[in-house]
Amino acid sequence: MKFSTLAAGMAALMAGAGTAQATDFEFWYGNTGNVEEAILAQCDAYNEAQSDHKVTCVGQGSYEVSMQKAIAAYRSGNAPVLIQFFDAGTLDLMLSDAVVPVQDILPDVDWGNYITGARSYYETHDGRLFSQPYNSSTLLFYTNKTQLEEAGITETPTTWEEVIAAARKLKDAGNSCPFVTDGDTWRVLEQFSARHGLPIATNHNGYDGLDAEYVFNTTFAAQHLANLVEWRNEGLVKLNADTAAGNYTAAFNAGECAMMEGSSGSYAASAAAFEGKYEITVGMAPMYEDYERHNTLVGGASIYVMKGHSDAEVEAAKTFLDFLRQPQQQMYFTAATGYVPVTNDVMDAITASGEADDAKYATAGIGIESMNQPATADSRGIRLGFYVQFREVFMEETQKAFNGDQTMQVALDNAKARGDELLRRFEQTYQGVTLP
Amino acid sequence: MSFAPQALFTNRWLPILLVAPMALLIVIFFYVPIFQAFYWSFFLERPFGGGSLFVGWANFARVLSDPKFWESLQKTLIFMVVGSSLAVLIPLILAVAADRQIRLSYPARNVLVWPKAVAGASIGVVFAFIFNPFVGILAPLNQMFPGLWNPGIDGGDAFVMLIAAHVWGGIPFNFVILLAGLQSIPRTLHQAGAMDGAGPWRRIFDVQLPLVMPQVFLTLVLEFTESVTSAFALVDTMTQGGPGGATSLLVYKIYVDGFNGYDLSGAATQTAALMVFVIILTAGQFVFLGRRINYER
Repeated sequence: MKFSTLAAGMAALMAGAGTAQATDFEFWYGNTGNVEEAILAQCDAYNEAQSDHKVTCVGQGSYEVSMQKAIAAYRSGNAPVLIQFFDAGTLDLMLSDAVVPVQDILPDVDWGNYITGARSYYETHDGRLFSQPYNSSTLLFYTNKTQLEEAGITETPTTWEEVIAAARKLKDAGNSCPFVTDGDTWRVLEQFSARHGLPIATNHNGYDGLDAEYVFNTTFAAQHLANLVEWRNEGLVKLNADTAAGNYTAAFNAGECAMMEGSSGSYAASAAAFEGKYEITVGMAPMYEDYERHNTLVGGASIYVMKGHSDAEVEAAKTFLDFLRQPQQQMYFTAATGYVPVTNDVMDAITASGEADDAKYATAGIGIESMNQPATADSRGIRLGFYVQFREVFMEETQKAFNGDQTMQVALDNAKARGDELLRRFEQTYQGVTLP
Repeated sequence: MSFAPQALFTNRWLPILLVAPMALLIVIFFYVPIFQAFYWSFFLERPFGGGSLFVGWANFARVLSDPKFWESLQKTLIFMVVGSSLAVLIPLILAVAADRQIRLSYPARNVLVWPKAVAGASIGVVFAFIFNPFVGILAPLNQMFPGLWNPGIDGGDAFVMLIAAHVWGGIPFNFVILLAGLQSIPRTLHQAGAMDGAGPWRRIFDVQLPLVMPQVFLTLVLEFTESVTSAFALVDTMTQGGPGGATSLLVYKIYVDGFNGYDLSGAATQTAALMVFVIILTAGQFVFLGRRINYER
């Protein structure tokens, strides 16, 4: 860190002396594994494609750690120019006064090219994108087709009723883990509520003001979560700790579990693990039969431009953002990871490439389709303060319901009460600040 | 007792200079953050800075009326008492055994010190594996009684796992201190006891234990204060505070609130409260326990 600051200082000094030196800038990201490899490959490609600027991509190990370090770095004036943040931190960043909306510094870009589902999550009231969507994902439904067929299930389930019927068949056929989830807030509450058209909080999930209150404990989501507890007791649904692999994606990838709800971003890893052993299917996340399907939310993360940097650095960073938006870059990233391209021109480019049916783009079409379902005012996104902390609260309370310490309804009521406290404190912390 | 001459250094600046680097480190990494925490505990602080609101004691009122804080403090207390007692008791038994020159006591003296070199986080990773319900040492138990042991689901199991790892990690240091204490007891006292017809057990309780009390007290005080913070690495690697907050010790809750939840004010307030709590506890130990200990031999 110190050294890179020094290096950046040296570079600035030399640029000041009149030599045509490259502008160095940093980009922080949080992913690991094959996603990190893809990110680093893009950084290398950028540095090779031009010689004016040089990006240094720094992995922080996780989204949370990246955000922690960014807060500390920003307070001490060492923040990187570009930083990747995850969906849950959207409002915290919008009000932070630490970032510049990308649409303000790149006014000439055709931002309308982004699909509505991706825009609505990250845009301001007047429709300016705050950040550039990067590794976008959405919730998808994965099955191990081979195992399903062995249990006599020929049709991939699309509704919860079918999923559970299939799970019972799998269990009868001796499968110890028919359906797996980690009970993560994003999966079991946010994506569920969005696609079933249910609000999580008033004010359309906080879009209309900071005085929102949580309502998920009164919607159909509460019934679904109670169902999950029932199904787990019946042996149809397993959580992370119930699996030998210890983690839901690992359990699915190893063939321990036959079905899972997971991010599109984990597709590449699953497909690679299945290679030669099982056949995989991936589809839209299941619905309850009585409900009309709405869009799923864009998840993953987007890139923000942080304040406090020289014009030269910002100009250089802009070229990197331009580079990442290029269709071939997005296609590369999708193929390497399973993250979904969220611009229309990339979908066209994939179609034009003649490889649209190729397995490596399997998540692209389904992901876009899922995010392009009819939207409601409650499926635009989540704009609630201290939301990262709320996710922790929700997990803690629902875990207690899963292990039988309290009923799911009590858990959700507790989570709502604690969540509302967070919202009130957020409101007080940002007194006098208007929602952009 | 004779005192060593006081003026070891002729230059009065030299000792200050020698101490300065360490003092500077303590100021930068301990006193400054602590004062910052106390300062923030009176403000509502925005994560990225720019605009903090003075709220007086409101943060304290919020934290002290939050049942989650008290739950977490209670867990910290249980962990402290059970974990620290075991982390002193087990090394004490081992030290008494090693001091008795029984078979293998000599190599044991060396081997028992080794875990000192293992970092808390590594202990956590290893113990999480050892206690894994599917592949760990208790896995056979699970096969006989399905669902009996699963620290990922059952909060009680997770707490037991945490304490086991903590006690194991505490053995070497306490063992060394206690063994040194036992070995400094003059042999003549043992011999006198034996002459008077006291058996080995009697000598342990009437000769060795009273004389090793200063060391037991020292290890207990250190364990008590250390268990508050050293549990962090274990919780972080083994349970992340779960399941359902069962192992959310205060030190971990502070981290989660402050760093994952960006609640800097709440985390700062809890830090202040935790520090006051530890100070009171240690003072209490000195007042009530420390007085009863006879340091003269």
